Amino acid sequence: MVERSFDVVIVGSGAGGGTVAKELAPLCREGVRIAVLEWGPKLKEEEFTGREAEMAEKLYFDNGGFLTRDRAMTLAFARAYGGSTVVYTGTSLPLPEEVLSRWGVPGLEHADLQRRSEKYLTENNVHLLDEDRINDNNRLFLEACRKLGYRVEQFPVNVKGCRGSGLCNLGCPNAAKQGTHRVQLPAAEAAGVEVITNCKVERIGGRECVVTVTNPPFGEPSCWPQGRYRIRARAIVVAAGAVNSPALLLRSRLPVRLPALGRYFTAHPALILVGEHDRPITNFYGHPKSYYCDHFVESAKFLLETCMYFPFTTAKNLIGFGAEHAEMMARMDRMQMILVLAVDPALAENRVTVDSAGDPVVYYRFTDEVLDALVESQRVAARIFFAAGCRRVHAPAGTGFFIGADEAHRLEELINREAFKLGKVSISSAHLMGGCRMGTDPATSVTDAWGQVHGVPWLFVADASLFPMCSEINPYITIMALADRVAERVRMRLPELPAA
Amino acid sequence: MCVAGCIVPAAADLDAEGRSRFIAIVGKALSDRPRSIQRQFGLFLGLMRWLALLRFGAPFDRLSPANQDAMLRWLLDAPLAKLRGGFWGLRALAFMGYYGQTEVWPSLRYTPTFNGNELLYG
Repeated sequence: MVERSFDVVIVGSGAGGGTVAKELAPLCREGVRIAVLEWGPKLKEEEFTGREAEMAEKLYFDNGGFLTRDRAMTLAFARAYGGSTVVYTGTSLPLPEEVLSRWGVPGLEHADLQRRSEKYLTENNVHLLDEDRINDNNRLFLEACRKLGYRVEQFPVNVKGCRGSGLCNLGCPNAAKQGTHRVQLPAAEAAGVEVITNCKVERIGGRECVVTVTNPPFGEPSCWPQGRYRIRARAIVVAAGAVNSPALLLRSRLPVRLPALGRYFTAHPALILVGEHDRPITNFYGHPKSYYCDHFVESAKFLLETCMYFPFTTAKNLIGFGAEHAEMMARMDRMQMILVLAVDPALAENRVTVDSAGDPVVYYRFTDEVLDALVESQRVAARIFFAAGCRRVHAPAGTGFFIGADEAHRLEELINREAFKLGKVSISSAHLMGGCRMGTDPATSVTDAWGQVHGVPWLFVADASLFPMCSEINPYITIMALADRVAERVRMRLPELPAA
Repeated sequence: MCVAGCIVPAAADLDAEGRSRFIAIVGKALSDRPRSIQRQFGLFLGLMRWLALLRFGAPFDRLSPANQDAMLRWLLDAPLAKLRGGFWGLRALAFMGYYGQTEVWPSLRYTPTFNGNELLYG
């Protein structure tokens, strides 16, 4: 096994790892050696083809369909230079103050998080798109919400030179999305940070980690030769995402017992809902996600967002099969889409574990409140679709495949909990949170408010696994703000940590 | 392909190249999955064959189109979550094999372009 040594090793290069790398990068001038270990590849620009099956295979774990243990939900999370920031839509919202209050983490103040969030809103070019860049799918949602009296807001997005491919979730083919792969990682590398792609961290043990470098048949080859390595470090920052960070720590030999490790996993379980117009609308041209409606977050625990997905993803999310399913799929140019996300509670039983091979297994139980929220959200979405002019809608909890506009007054009856069966409905999640939650009590948390693992001064976590509860909004800016704090703490602690 | 044709009727009309692409996409998706999932999927297909025999007196591929449809609709709403989940997986693979082919996208009136903004308003 090849031996390597660094001062700081960062596992993962997404919103968390990329941010920590860039924040620590100035230390390289003082001779501090920093490495980022990224499981996924760095794709060549020409490899962002926008072809759904191909990009899902190249960029996502399990092609974007990682299943929970009971197979009731699929989880989408990426592996790539830039992590999941390569495949999100770039929506960037700071954490609301009331959510932070609910988190109740002593030492984590709103003013501090807001200041750090604003830094990344600027750094990653977050702004509102001009009106002439809003497609019909988004505009109709906005107008319908206003007509119905629902609170609706525009998403700030982190794009530069967006040409409206609508392919954000498959990796922007125009290099417009300003994720860590475009901003933080190149800056970190320019300052001397080494980014090793195609590098899977097997385990951590006593200020070292064992990794394997294997190049897939796509992307740029890793800067290290293929093989196994033992890497020593003074400090290790784990930022591999809310599934892989807990899984990595669970299969590692840590000097402390962490009963909360892997637990309190939350996911914003989501449904893709579809309405059909009687004429073509612009939907897959232009940025796909421009508005959100948080009108029902407090009262009914769900959020609605505009979205537009690709043929396979859309087909999978419609209930049923056969002629009526094919009929709807045959008119993708008439589809209006809404993503609904449930605000789910942080339960100790919802957790990441590892199997005998060390691979992650996610246990997730849907509470009655979450299921009720997902059913009610379909009624609200149907109202929005009809207010937008749809001639019929499809709801996963519908008693039939279609609900016609002439049945709009019967939504309570036509969309009901009895028809909403787990295993039948496609529930997905791309907001994976918790598993290494922050807190003060080692019995119910894994790290302190600065991401340091309880009782292990050289080990830090810097990603969405830190969230003690769900964020109730798209999480990326919050991850970056928290990672900024972690970087500050690592910088402060590093002189105290002995050489590797 | 028999089940796939029930789930996506147009899959039955694919030409030889389309069928090859379908099989390649599904085969790749399955081979990329953990072995436990592959095993469970094989078990589900075997179970489906037996359930068809129990309910309709013949294996699935020898049922009439109406009975095949009835069998799949029963699985879609099956009382056991594991059966529903198994059918969900089968359905997802059939959709992936068909809708994952960029060649069929124009027939869905799905024609993405890297320069979508140019087509937004006229």
